[in-house]
Amino acid sequence: MSSDSALGELVIAEARPRTWRGVSWLLRFIRTQPLGAAAVVVIVVIGLGAIFAPLLRTTDPVEFGRDVLAAPGGDHWFGTTRQGRDVYSRVLYGGRVSLLIGIEAVAISILGGTVLALIAGYFKGVVDGIVMRIADLVLIFPGIVLALAISTAFGRGLGSLTVAVAIIFTPAAARVIRGAVLQESAMAYVAAAQVIGASPPRIMFRHILPNILPLMIVMASAALPAAILTEAGLSFLGVGVAVGEPSWGADLSGDSRQYFVQAWWIAVFPGAALSLTVLAFNLLGDSLRDVLDPRLRGSKLR
Amino acid sequence: MSNYVLRRLVLIPATLLVASLVLFWLLFSQPGNAAILRVGSLGSCDECVKNLEQRLGLDDPFLVQYAHWLGHAVQGDFGQSLQNGQDIRPRIRRALLPTVELAILTTLLSAVIGSAVGIISAVRPNSVVDYFLRFVSILGLSIPQFWLATLIVVLPQVWWGWTPLRRDYVDVTDNPMENLRLMIWPALALAAGSSAYVARIVRSSMLEALSSDYVRTARAKGLRERIVVLRHVFRPSLITAFTVIGLQFGFILGGSVIMESIFGIPGLGQLLLSGVIFQDYPVVLAVTMVFGAGFLLISLFVDVMYAYLDPRLRRQA
Repeated sequence: MSSDSALGELVIAEARPRTWRGVSWLLRFIRTQPLGAAAVVVIVVIGLGAIFAPLLRTTDPVEFGRDVLAAPGGDHWFGTTRQGRDVYSRVLYGGRVSLLIGIEAVAISILGGTVLALIAGYFKGVVDGIVMRIADLVLIFPGIVLALAISTAFGRGLGSLTVAVAIIFTPAAARVIRGAVLQESAMAYVAAAQVIGASPPRIMFRHILPNILPLMIVMASAALPAAILTEAGLSFLGVGVAVGEPSWGADLSGDSRQYFVQAWWIAVFPGAALSLTVLAFNLLGDSLRDVLDPRLRGSKLR
Repeated sequence: MSNYVLRRLVLIPATLLVASLVLFWLLFSQPGNAAILRVGSLGSCDECVKNLEQRLGLDDPFLVQYAHWLGHAVQGDFGQSLQNGQDIRPRIRRALLPTVELAILTTLLSAVIGSAVGIISAVRPNSVVDYFLRFVSILGLSIPQFWLATLIVVLPQVWWGWTPLRRDYVDVTDNPMENLRLMIWPALALAAGSSAYVARIVRSSMLEALSSDYVRTARAKGLRERIVVLRHVFRPSLITAFTVIGLQFGFILGGSVIMESIFGIPGLGQLLLSGVIFQDYPVVLAVTMVFGAGFLLISLFVDVMYAYLDPRLRRQA
């Protein structure tokens, strides 16, 4: 795959074969990675639930209702909370928070990490030293500890939550991708590009970047479930989303534990949704790694 | 080798210094401060806030505040809590033991469970048992620690009217058995995730070793399978597992924040959380620094042990 994209600039017409190749690749993926394909289905369902939450919901997720601690049934599919909020609607809206923050934070950290890695790995020497030492500074703190400290500084809200999660995942991404950039910059095609006078940004983004794309995807799929869990953990501790806002993590704290004996549904549904989402992303990440990263493939097949 | 260790040891305070400056700056630039929070509970008045800010030194310029903090911090004195004016040092000393205990317990559990699962998986790769264990591992990685912990707390209560939670925390120095009876549960909840990592690494590195020439030689000379697996395959993969466990330590420390809050363990995580909620930045800073220092020391220890355990690296040193 990587050799194809490196040749991409030389091949002239390939519009139709490329779509066809995509379909056959997809079919092969389903055949060789059935668990990964099942995970995709689960993710699509959860994603659709989150996107169309305003259409699929029964009542407003933050509105107090008259039915307090109602068991799951016709009116409230997943029951209600102590304030009479509908658990089903909250699970739908909680998915929005989890997925949005997870995807945004991972996108920021993978893109930022890649840019840092390209700069560090291509220029090497002093630049490399500075970038990597800064990354090390972040890596000495346990993720959630740092996120707690950062959220103290930035206050509450989705934006600062996203930034906090993105900051803790960027250095790890930068470090792994830098290794790949170092390997790539030693290759003949980079030397060739330098000889014909390509500028460093051009070499970094047009020549090296396509070759580390599979690694970026693998890193992103590994970071996504971890990022979702971090957001949920922070919200669970009460320093994530604002009070009362639907979030899987926040909905698992406080009342859900106190009232578990009387109302198990408050804790079980958001917890199951969160676990299922993370499980699906983990399975997808594993399959993607098998498919995209040939270096890691061997150890699994044997 | 000792040269390398020395260099790493010198680097630790330097790293912490820079990290503390950045964190101090981050926390310093926050909008609300502890003075407003404290006065706010008494009824707001601008005069009182100003007075309190002055008394707590919150209106000094940034670098003055940082230098003041640093001068005391290097002596182990992290100042006073902004919430209640108590000294932070004794509170950290008290909170350190439960957190360290939880971390050690979790590390031991994940090493034992992880290696056992990894070995069983690797001995019969792609068997039903292997698939089952791998699936359980992925499950362990996916279930949020705090949900698992919640279930550990509430499910026995529903089924048997018993819960591992207790009203008051007993220190390990006072009553080790009582203490262990509480600590084993959060440790298990945390170990579910990290032992899954260990199991994966042990499995894949054992599979690699199983197909190597020296294992074929060991079998060819007629060694029993048990000896081949334990001595020739498991031992080298133990080194890899050791590094993974070391790297998991940061994850375990982070997870202990959540476990402490669920199981009511008065550890560093609880202290940090209360600091975050009350915007008590001396406390947040102090606890974060302790976490950072602990993590740096552990990773140094892991690296040294790694060099010591691997015969190839030992000879170089």
